[in-house]
Amino acid sequence: MPGLLTNSGDSSSIVPYSPTTTTPTVYTLHHGLTSPITPRLSISWSRGNSLRVTVFRSPEPASNSGDDEAGGKVVDLKLSGEDIDSEISDAARWRRIAYGSVAPFAHLQNKKNAMAALAELRHSVSYDGEWSKYVLEYSKQINSLLGSKKSSPPSLIEDPKTVLKVEEPNSLKAAWELLEIFYADKQSHPWIPEQLVDWLSDYDALFSGQVPSVHLRLVEFQAELINMQAVENEPAYWQAISSALAVGWLDIVVKLLRLHGSYQLHQLGARETENGLVEAVAVLVSKMPRMRVDLPSGKLGECYNNKSDFMRAWEKWRAQITKLDCSAFWLQCSHNQTKENLKNLLQILLGNTSTLSSATCHWVELYIAHFLYIRPFTSGLESMYVLAQKCIQLKPVSTHHKLMRLILGILEENTEVVLAECSRSFGPWMIAHATELLTAGSVEAEILLKEERDNLGGISIEESHRLVYAQVLSSHALTWQIAPIYLISCVKHGVGLLEILLYKQPAYHSQVLLKNIEICRMYDLDSVSSNAMKIAGVHHWKHGRKGAGVFWLQQAGDETRLNRIAQKLFDFVGKSISDESFEQWEGLIELLGSESRTAGGLEFLHKYRDFKKSLQQVQDGVSIDAARKAVEALISLMKNPSTPQRFWLPLMYDSLKLLNWQERPLLNVSQTNLLLNKLQELLVARLRPDFVEVALPPEASSSVRVALATNLGRAILEE
Amino acid sequence: MMTMMMMLRVNNGSITKVVWVPPEYGDAIACICSDGSLSIWEEISEDSEPVQWKQCTSFGGPLDQVLDGQFGNSVSSLKLTIAYSNGLVKKPDLMEKSIATLDKGTICSSWNYCGQRLATGLIDGIIAIFDTSDPASSFFTSTFKFKVNNGSITKVVWVPPEYGDAIACICSDGSLSIWEEISEDSEPVQWKQCTSFGGPLDQVLDGQFGNSVSSLKLTVAYSNGLVKVYEILDSMELKNWQLQAEFQNVTDSLAKFGKASCSLASISWNPQRSESRPASFVLGFNSDTPQLNSPKVWEFDQDHQRWLPVAELGDNGDLVNALAWAPNIGRPYELIAVATSKEISIWQMASNPDANGRLSVEKVGMFPCHDNQVWQMEWDMSGMTLATSGTDGRVRLWQSNLNGIWHEQAVIESAT
Repeated sequence: MPGLLTNSGDSSSIVPYSPTTTTPTVYTLHHGLTSPITPRLSISWSRGNSLRVTVFRSPEPASNSGDDEAGGKVVDLKLSGEDIDSEISDAARWRRIAYGSVAPFAHLQNKKNAMAALAELRHSVSYDGEWSKYVLEYSKQINSLLGSKKSSPPSLIEDPKTVLKVEEPNSLKAAWELLEIFYADKQSHPWIPEQLVDWLSDYDALFSGQVPSVHLRLVEFQAELINMQAVENEPAYWQAISSALAVGWLDIVVKLLRLHGSYQLHQLGARETENGLVEAVAVLVSKMPRMRVDLPSGKLGECYNNKSDFMRAWEKWRAQITKLDCSAFWLQCSHNQTKENLKNLLQILLGNTSTLSSATCHWVELYIAHFLYIRPFTSGLESMYVLAQKCIQLKPVSTHHKLMRLILGILEENTEVVLAECSRSFGPWMIAHATELLTAGSVEAEILLKEERDNLGGISIEESHRLVYAQVLSSHALTWQIAPIYLISCVKHGVGLLEILLYKQPAYHSQVLLKNIEICRMYDLDSVSSNAMKIAGVHHWKHGRKGAGVFWLQQAGDETRLNRIAQKLFDFVGKSISDESFEQWEGLIELLGSESRTAGGLEFLHKYRDFKKSLQQVQDGVSIDAARKAVEALISLMKNPSTPQRFWLPLMYDSLKLLNWQERPLLNVSQTNLLLNKLQELLVARLRPDFVEVALPPEASSSVRVALATNLGRAILEE
Repeated sequence: MMTMMMMLRVNNGSITKVVWVPPEYGDAIACICSDGSLSIWEEISEDSEPVQWKQCTSFGGPLDQVLDGQFGNSVSSLKLTIAYSNGLVKKPDLMEKSIATLDKGTICSSWNYCGQRLATGLIDGIIAIFDTSDPASSFFTSTFKFKVNNGSITKVVWVPPEYGDAIACICSDGSLSIWEEISEDSEPVQWKQCTSFGGPLDQVLDGQFGNSVSSLKLTVAYSNGLVKVYEILDSMELKNWQLQAEFQNVTDSLAKFGKASCSLASISWNPQRSESRPASFVLGFNSDTPQLNSPKVWEFDQDHQRWLPVAELGDNGDLVNALAWAPNIGRPYELIAVATSKEISIWQMASNPDANGRLSVEKVGMFPCHDNQVWQMEWDMSGMTLATSGTDGRVRLWQSNLNGIWHEQAVIESAT
């Protein structure tokens, strides 16, 4: 399985086909206890990647230690997750990205399923063109989540007096854009060189932390600029211009050129030729032909969107540069530094390799410079890779920046390296979302990512990455709710993990339970939701909330437990059949419902409730009709075979008022006889050892007997 | 012109490298010295004293030599990565949060199914239950305390939640008692004892609940090498249990070993709750009888209502310290981790029996323990990562890579 601890800096767990020997990363746990040195630990996984470690201080009895220190600590460790990319260390921001990426991801999965269904219907392969459109749309949506386009260096120069304040670009976005350029945006492949130029201008700052960069050079120059009198005399000025030119930041170049002293009004007369040359270079720079559809406002160059037009313009432009280079005006330029450095700029424009190399700081910049001034077209990734290797030779680095490694992996067409790099440097979020771009990019990548592997327990690399990401989401109370969307896209193991995730939610919190039920309904996980309702039901029942307990057990359809509850009620009613306890369980009987499937005992309870109700009305002194109803209920109860024997006497004792009804006998002869027989049966049963005596006054049975006898006499007379 | 303002001695050896701490954290430096230590010093004025450079902390030393240390300055926190001469890269900053402080004398603990309640056992026989004050909070405080035994508590196990909030406590006197949180007759919620197994003459070593869909089973292993499986009679009551089976942990049903003396037993149920699969668990002993020791997988034969040994994980009779059956989210095989006195091993077991009714097994990972005796093993909820804790006071995490090779992924050690 892929490494969960991808932030460990140890790539091996995620790199396919890596060497098997690895060194574990060592983390330190700060539990704050002073002793002992090797404490006893107890471990327990919580949801996702959260591990709870209990540190026990000592096994001595409490009384032996005189100090105030606690006996142990429990520490919750998040073994990977939102902190995976140090740049997105702000948890709230990370959650915004996590939540924001759900909709594009789910939408794309729906499209995929719909297209697969359609393809099956037509017995044909799905239409690739349409799919790439969806993938690009998805990529753009995700990209926009990662932050807005960064302000690039021009703004730095615009007002040199302002303190440098640029929003730091993030490498997550930079990496995503690289993937988008190479894998998702197939329509724009002819424009890859120009896209890379734009990419570098947005993200060159990211390299600054590790290697010198043109961006850093410009930032430093800007800081010095305030103190410079005649910029054209400063080597830093020319260096800044040539560097900016080499990586194609033309607007900056033109702006900087116009800071040249010869533009100052009082200088114009004396340095006319010099100024003309500076301006001529500035014009040539701003007229540079660009092989692209359009340019953002403020950017310079002339766009051509087809190759032949571009080539014509490119040749013409270069001819103009050569012409200027050979011009006689240079002889009239008295300012030596200006002359030399302008000529140097022309060399950059003409694509002089050594000039480009000295103007750039690291190999990616040199690489971009190649596309701008030497080879404005690409001819496949292979040649792009060869060129990158050449640039690395010219500008070697001790360790490649993570984005450099990513670029190399892409150019090398090595999906494994790209995957490893995405996972190692950018974390589970990146890899879970980027696989869609990778698989859209190439058949080889698709095979690699989607092939089911025995080593992974029968799942594909793509699925394993999604599972890992879902685990990360599951670790946090605020993100577990979106994990199901990713799990459900995992055809083989997703549902299994989802079931466990849902099982591990505290079902007795009603909010959680309702959320649980909602998710189960969405994905047809009936057994999971009924189990959660069962847990909630038992919890409420055992904690004295009987009504809620019965309700949830009914929702869960848990016949076994409901039957047990019915039995309990039954026993309970048998124990105390007094009026006071009646209300207490009346609601429960109501809840348990009248359907016979919930135990025979319940049928009795229902009749008993009806009887009690009408008896209550009789006590309250209502009409004779109520009394008649009560008698009917009594007779039906006594006739019913499910009425337990131990209830017979209490029932009749409760009905004494009915038996002794003043106005007229309420029971006819046969009814009275039925009750007398029951009483007789009871007296016989009393002799048996298993007879359960009910708590009634000792005279109960004789009072009932007398009442029945009186009633019988009156009934005979009446009939 | 720079002048020297301060001078301080940080080490008796030479200083090989100085790194400034990011300015957001004050004026401070990290000094890596020739003796292999990295110490952090801060310029600070405390208690109205004049400004001084004071040592804040130190990492590494002669036995644990630091080669390099670098600060990473993210927005929210300061991180320090240290490279050691033994090739380890240490990241002292782990995302960690203290969530509970335990009472003195606590010696064991257990979380419930959803990680929302903690039961801890004390050396004086008291159980303390910890809860959060509200669901959103993540700090746990003690809510119930009750004495279950005169001896000490050695293990706490939660009963599956379908049967309420209840625990089984195994105590030093050899008893296993089940306690339940319940409110009866409109009384407030209390912890009450439901039942108890074993005792001084019949010592319980381990007890684990198996939660099949239809009923609750409890496997209890005794110090005399006997295993008993109990089944609950009434799903709403934890009082009444029926003895379903009693056997020894041997594959040959005819072999009987008397007078076994066991010091530890480990039981791990198959965590999968499925109606289609028979109930099963793995069991191993740490005893003087090698035949009882080796972990065996027992499966319930529904048709004949009996337990059958279906697999054996190694047959060398090594003393078993811990067992853990991994959750299976869809693998075509099961994974079981075994910790013996010699090694930690990870076993693959077929899900379906061969012609002889046995499940074929294969040891797919093996790591010698050296001096470290494993105390506890736990699989994460996906069954992808195994965590172990042991006598060396470290937590180790184990994972398989994309080639199916198991390796030690990380070590978590206590700050000294």
